[in-house]
Amino acid sequence: MNRGYMGKILMVDLSRGEISEEVIPDNVYENYLSGLGLGAYILFNRIPAGADPLGPDNILGFLTGLLTGTGSFFSGRWMVAGKSPLTGCWGDANCGGNLSPAIKRCGYDGIFFKGISEKPVYLYVDSGRAELRDASSLWGKDAVETEETLLLEGGKGARVACIGQAGENRSLIAGICNDKGRLAARSGLGAVMGSKRLKALVVNGKRRIQPFNRHEIKRLSQSCNRWVQFQPPLFSGPALSRVGTLMRLLPTQMAQDGLLYKFFLKKWGTVSMNQVSIEIGDSPIKNWKGTNEDFGPGRSLTVNPDAITGREFVKYHCYGCPLGCGGKCSLPGQKGGETHKPEYETVLALGGLCMNEDADSIFHMNEMLNRAGMDTISAGGTVAFALECYEKGILTKDDTGGLELTWGNAPAILALVEKMIRREGIGDVLADGTKVAARRIGKGSEAFAMHVGGQEPAMHDGRNDPGFNVHYAVEATPGRHTIGAQLYYEMFQLWKEVKGIPRAKPLYSKDRKYLADHEKAVMAAACSKYMNVANGAGLCMFGLLMGVTRTPLFAWLNAATGWRKTPGQYLDIGARIQTLKQAFNIKHGVDPRSIRVSDRMLGKPALPAGANKGRTTDLEKVRGNYWDQFGWDPETGVPDPEALERLGIKT
Amino acid sequence: MAYRITTECNGCTACVRLCPTGAIAGERKALHAVNPSLCIECGACGRVCPQDAVQDAFGIACRRIPKLSLWPKPVVDAKICVSCRICIEGCPASCLAGRMDGGEKHEIAFLAEPKACISCGFCEADCPVEAIRLVVPEQPAVEVKQS
Repeated sequence: MNRGYMGKILMVDLSRGEISEEVIPDNVYENYLSGLGLGAYILFNRIPAGADPLGPDNILGFLTGLLTGTGSFFSGRWMVAGKSPLTGCWGDANCGGNLSPAIKRCGYDGIFFKGISEKPVYLYVDSGRAELRDASSLWGKDAVETEETLLLEGGKGARVACIGQAGENRSLIAGICNDKGRLAARSGLGAVMGSKRLKALVVNGKRRIQPFNRHEIKRLSQSCNRWVQFQPPLFSGPALSRVGTLMRLLPTQMAQDGLLYKFFLKKWGTVSMNQVSIEIGDSPIKNWKGTNEDFGPGRSLTVNPDAITGREFVKYHCYGCPLGCGGKCSLPGQKGGETHKPEYETVLALGGLCMNEDADSIFHMNEMLNRAGMDTISAGGTVAFALECYEKGILTKDDTGGLELTWGNAPAILALVEKMIRREGIGDVLADGTKVAARRIGKGSEAFAMHVGGQEPAMHDGRNDPGFNVHYAVEATPGRHTIGAQLYYEMFQLWKEVKGIPRAKPLYSKDRKYLADHEKAVMAAACSKYMNVANGAGLCMFGLLMGVTRTPLFAWLNAATGWRKTPGQYLDIGARIQTLKQAFNIKHGVDPRSIRVSDRMLGKPALPAGANKGRTTDLEKVRGNYWDQFGWDPETGVPDPEALERLGIKT
Repeated sequence: MAYRITTECNGCTACVRLCPTGAIAGERKALHAVNPSLCIECGACGRVCPQDAVQDAFGIACRRIPKLSLWPKPVVDAKICVSCRICIEGCPASCLAGRMDGGEKHEIAFLAEPKACISCGFCEADCPVEAIRLVVPEQPAVEVKQS
C-alpha cells in the first residue's frame, strides 16, 4: 500500500561493522509519524538509561519526513536525533538542502548508527546496497572538501552529510553539514558523529516515493503555491529597520500574519530581520546585557538586508520549496570565494551579541564555521561570553594568547573563532559552549554564561516574547527557538482548524504578553504539538508560518497516507511524541525542573532601558501549566505512568 | 508491483544497461530478470526491448520505441516553474539540473543531460505546479532525393 513512507529503517552497528534492515510496523507511523517521531520511538526504546552521549551506546539517527518526496511543498527537512552531549537531554537538529529525499529514496525513513568504529569510516547507501567504507584519508578535512571528494566517489545523484573538524574534535557545539555549508547545528550531534568515527553518510537512492493520492497532494500544493507567489513590491532594506522602530514605539501589539514575514523571506531570506529584530527588542545585544540603544540602526546598517543580499549571486531553494530563502554570496576579499548567505542567527550571534558591526568578518566566520561544522549560534554565544569575561578581567591577555577580546573587536573575534575550531589555547576552553567553558574558567564566570540546560539560546529574546523563554525551558531539547513562541502561535493560526484553542486577538496591549496566565500554556502546548507533527512530516517552519490554512499540513498528511485523521487527532500524535521525548529525558535522569534559563535572559534583573525595559518572565507558573497540558505532573514535569500507558508508551 | 521479463528475452542486455536502479540482472544471451524490490516501474526496459519481452505491473506488454530520438523528453515552462527541485531530486537518471533563466536569481529546472533521460515521465508526474510536459523532440528534416 502506498502511504508516503518507506516502512523500513537501516541500523548500522559501527563497532561490529554490521548493517541490518528493519521493517517498521504501520502502527508506529500512525502513532508517531516518521521523522523525529519515529526517531523518538527508536531512540527511547534502544538507548540504555544513563548512556554516555559520546559512548558506544548512544544512537544517532538520520531521519526523513513522512511528506518528503510526496509532492507536498516545504518537505525537504532532514533531521538528526540522538542523546545530546551538550545538554545530556534528548537532542535533535534539522536542516534543509537536498539530502532528505536522497535518504528516503534509498528505501529508508531513517538510518541509525550505534557503536564506535575502530577507524574513521563513512556509510555509502544506494537503492540496493549499504556498505561502510574507509574514511581515513578524509579525517581532518573540512566539510566542504569532504563533500566534494565524496560526491565524486558516490556517483551521479549522490548526496552527502558529514562532519568537519569541530565534529572530529568532539566539540560539543558541533553540527552535521550537508550541501557544502548547511548545518543541522543544534544539540551538538556533530560531536556524537565524531565520537563514532563516522565521517560521513553518502546516499544515492533512486527509489520512487509513493503517496496514497498524489493528485490530491498536488492540488493542495498548488493552492499553497498561490500564497507563496503572492509578492507585493517592498521597501528598501534599511527602511525595514524603521518599521521595527515604529513597532517598538507603539504601546499595542498586532497579531502578526506570517504572510507578511513570507514577503520578507522571499525577498531577502532570514537576514530581512537583522535590523528589525534589534529594533523591536527580539535580538539580544552584548551578551544579553545590552539593548537596542547600544546597537542602533546606524551601527547595524552594515548588516542591513540589502547589504547582505548585495553580495548574493544566486538564490537557491531547498528540496520541495517554492519560497527559496537561501542564497550563495561572494566572500569579501577572496577572489572566487563563496559562502552560503549568512542566516539571521549567524549575523546576530556574531554581530550584535558581540557588538561586532564588521560585516566582512561575519561572512568569513560564517564560512569558517560552516566548513568546520560548528553551530554559529552557540559559537557566537560563547564568543560573547568570552568577551564579557575579558571585560570583567576574568580572562586576561595571557589567557587569550594575546587576543584583545574587547567588544566589537572583529579581528580578535575572528581569531578566537579560529582557535575554537582548532581547539587551540583559549579556543580549547571555549569549544564546548558557555556552560562547560564557565566551569573550566570558574571565578564567577557562570553569571555571564547564557545558556539553557547547557545549550546557547538563539537570537530571540524571551524578554521581548516570553513564549521563547517558555520553549527554551520546557522542550525536551533545551534552548530551541524553532518550536514555539507567542509570535509563532499567532502565525500558525491553528485555531482556524483545531477546536478548543484560543484565537489570537488582532490588537492587544503589549503588557498582555507578559501575563503568565493559563492561556499562554495552552498556546505553548499547541505550538509544541504542531511542530512535532511538522517534524514528523519533515516540513520547514518557514512554510508553516504562513498559517495552517495556507500551508495545509494536515490535509497533505491525509492525502499522503490515506488516513482520515482530523487536525485534533494529529495534535494528539504531536502530544504523544512530546511525551515520549520527555520520558526519554526522565529515563536518562534529567529532572525537568533542573533545566534553568540563565537569570539575565529571564529579566532578573530587568533591563533598565531599551525595548525590553523592565520586562521579566514568570517562567515557573507557565511551565507548570504547560506540563499540565500534556497530563504530566505540574509540579515535577514527569509524565505519570497512567498517561504513558494511555499513549501506549512502555517504560 | 514491478515489471517482468518474459521468455521472449534473447539476452541482449540493452535493458540491463539502461535500468537506472540496477534492478535487472542478466548475462549476454541469457534470460534476464527484474528484481521486484528494486524496480521503480520507470518502463525504460520496455521502451528499449527489441523483443517486446517486458510486461508492466498489470501484465501488459510494453511497446518499444525503436529510435531513441523518438523518446519523449521533459520540457520545463520557466514561467510556471517555482524552482522547488522536486523534479531534479526525483529523477532516477539524475539528468535534470537547475540553471538561471529570466530576470530573477532563482534557478529553473532544465534537462541537463538529454542523452541520459529514460523518458520515465516521473518529473512530469511529480511536478506540483504542472510546469513539465514530456514532448517528442522535433526531428531534423530529412532531405528527400528527387529522382
